[in-house]
Amino acid sequence: MNIEKAKEIVISAINDALEGNAEITEEMQLIGGKSLLDSMKLVEVCLALEDLADEHGFEFDWTSEAAMSKSRSMFRSVKALAEEFASQSEAK
Amino acid sequence: MIIVTGASRGLGQAIAERLIEKGEDVFGLARSVSGISLDAIECDVSDYSSVKNASREVKRLKKPVKAFINAAGVASMNMAVTTDEATVQKLIQTNLVGTIYCCQLFAPIMLRQKHGSFINFSTIAVPLALKGESVYAASKAGVESFSRTFAREMADFNVRVNCIAPGPIRTDLLRGITDAQIEKITSQQVIPKQFQKSDVCDLVELLLDEKAASLSGQVLNVGGV
Repeated sequence: MNIEKAKEIVISAINDALEGNAEITEEMQLIGGKSLLDSMKLVEVCLALEDLADEHGFEFDWTSEAAMSKSRSMFRSVKALAEEFASQSEAK
Repeated sequence: MIIVTGASRGLGQAIAERLIEKGEDVFGLARSVSGISLDAIECDVSDYSSVKNASREVKRLKKPVKAFINAAGVASMNMAVTTDEATVQKLIQTNLVGTIYCCQLFAPIMLRQKHGSFINFSTIAVPLALKGESVYAASKAGVESFSRTFAREMADFNVRVNCIAPGPIRTDLLRGITDAQIEKITSQQVIPKQFQKSDVCDLVELLLDEKAASLSGQVLNVGGV
C-alpha cells in the first residue's frame, strides 16, 4: 500500500471517530494536549484501522513498539500513523 | 471463551477445571503445556514477546473473549534482606509486569467487543503487611494499584477489572510453610480459617456472573481483612 492510500484510510478513520466535526491535517497530533481525539476515540480509530487492514489482507498492530515509543510514536501525527499503516501493509 | 494464565497447575489449573465443569470454553496459557488437558498454548507471562505472540494466536481464533484470568504467579517467602536480586526480579517481573503485559496486550480484544472482564490476583499479604512477604506483597500491591486504575481506563468500554486476594491456599506456592505459620496468618483474617482453592474458584465464578456487573476496580480479600 502506498503512503497516499494509507493517508486516505487513516484520515477517513479519524473523520469517522470525530463524526466529521473537524478538519484533519497530516500534522494533526493524535496524542497529547493538542489532540482532538480523547483516548476512547483513539482506540476507536485503532480498531477501525484493524478492520481496514484486514480488508487489505494484513494485520495492523497498534500495540507495537512503534505505537508505544514516546519519541517515535505513530500517534505523534496523522502522517506518522499513515506511514506506520503503510509500512505494516508492506511487511505482511 | 475464558483465558486462564498459569493454567497448568495451582490456582490457575483449579480455576480452569472449575470453569470447564461449568460448561465454559477455557483456553489456557502456561509456560509448559505438556500434560495439560485443555486447549492451551505456551506463554511466559514475564516475557513481552511471548505474551504478544499468545495474544496474536488468540485473536486469530476469532472467538469472543468473555474473561481473562491472570492466575500465573510466583511466590517467595523471605525477609527483604535475605531475598536475592534474581528472586526480587522474578517476583516483580512475573507477578506485576506479567499481569500488566497480559492486560495491555489482551485488552484490545475486549475493547472491540465492548464487553469483558479481567480478574487479577493479589494476596491478603498486602493489607495484612505480613512479615516475610515484603517483596511478594510489593509485587501484588502493584497488581492491585494497576488493576484499580486499569479498571477506570476500561470502564468506558464496558470491561471490568477486579482482583482476588487469597490468603494461604494450599498450592505449590506454599511449599515449606508450616501449619503453624498458616494459622498465624489466617488468625488475622476476619474469618480466621484457611480457605481452599474451591473458595477462590467460587469468587471467580461470582466475578464472572452478570450479577457482578456493578463491580470493577475492587479487591476481594479472601477471608476478609
